[in-house]
Amino acid sequence: MIGFLKGLSVTLRQLPKKKVTLQYPDVKPEWPERFRGVHRFIPELCIACNQCARICPTSCISLSGERDENKKMKIHTFDINFDICILCDLCTEVCPTEAVLMSDTFEMAKYSRDDLYLDMHWLHDNQLKYEQAHPDRFERARGEAD
Amino acid sequence: MDLTRASQLPIIEYEGLTPEENAELNRGGVLLNSLETLKGWARSNSLWPMTLGLACCAIEMMGAAAAHYDLDRFGMIFRASPRQSDVMIVAGTVTKKMAPLIRRLYDQMAEPKWVISMGVCATAGGPYVRSYSVLKGVDQVVPVDVYIPGCPPSPPALIYGLNMLQEKIRMEARGKKVTRA
Repeated sequence: MIGFLKGLSVTLRQLPKKKVTLQYPDVKPEWPERFRGVHRFIPELCIACNQCARICPTSCISLSGERDENKKMKIHTFDINFDICILCDLCTEVCPTEAVLMSDTFEMAKYSRDDLYLDMHWLHDNQLKYEQAHPDRFERARGEAD
Repeated sequence: MDLTRASQLPIIEYEGLTPEENAELNRGGVLLNSLETLKGWARSNSLWPMTLGLACCAIEMMGAAAAHYDLDRFGMIFRASPRQSDVMIVAGTVTKKMAPLIRRLYDQMAEPKWVISMGVCATAGGPYVRSYSVLKGVDQVVPVDVYIPGCPPSPPALIYGLNMLQEKIRMEARGKKVTRA
């Protein structure tokens, strides 16, 4: 009986405390700034140097570029195969122009494996979404650049 | 020859009914769709996953079941036996040695059953995509319903995938097709 009351007192002491459960589909989690979600990509910055594709441990990036009239390399296609991408951040680290970056998109479940092969347009849309979601981070980056 | 409208309609095959019973329902012009929808609602809200943790994704799977994300909110309670579970969450690297055992566990599960491939290892081999001993995708041995990329996927990503599976169960109960590779 004493033990029962002891146990119940622990339960009662927990009751007024704040709930720890995150109500996920209604409340989105707050990810830190350096969270490694799915990539975002800025096609204007990319110089098609192929370093990301070369460093990728699973070779999931494939890209192609061509020279424009000013003899600058322009990106033509940029695909990431999220079937095998392990989100290791190495492509972001080697990118000399910071054209490929990590976002905080994590809702990526799909019914088919074909939908996981994503191209430049999807990745750029992800960048625009990220800009909308975190305007403060871009403000800060611009302030540091000035 | 019976040339009424009902006999020209295609015979819908309901789950758990014999072909004769399906034909009888068709002759009578009876649809059991509300019953199917009810079944889909009940099934999607009591998905009992099997604890099939094979690698580090299992830690995230356990994290999703623990207090902070709490899968019990969706009526998902982890079972240790394939006989009692509805959905198999393949969490982690599937080696070629493990593949026949996964098939056996899948066969031991009672119908209806679904499979979630969690993480890139289970989806396509992930970092071991050029390895000699790792299966390149668990869909080579069992049919997969939802693929969740990530290495490993965070608990919210897993919950998102599980909610997609619930959506799929409800859609299929209403007779809509969900795309599948």
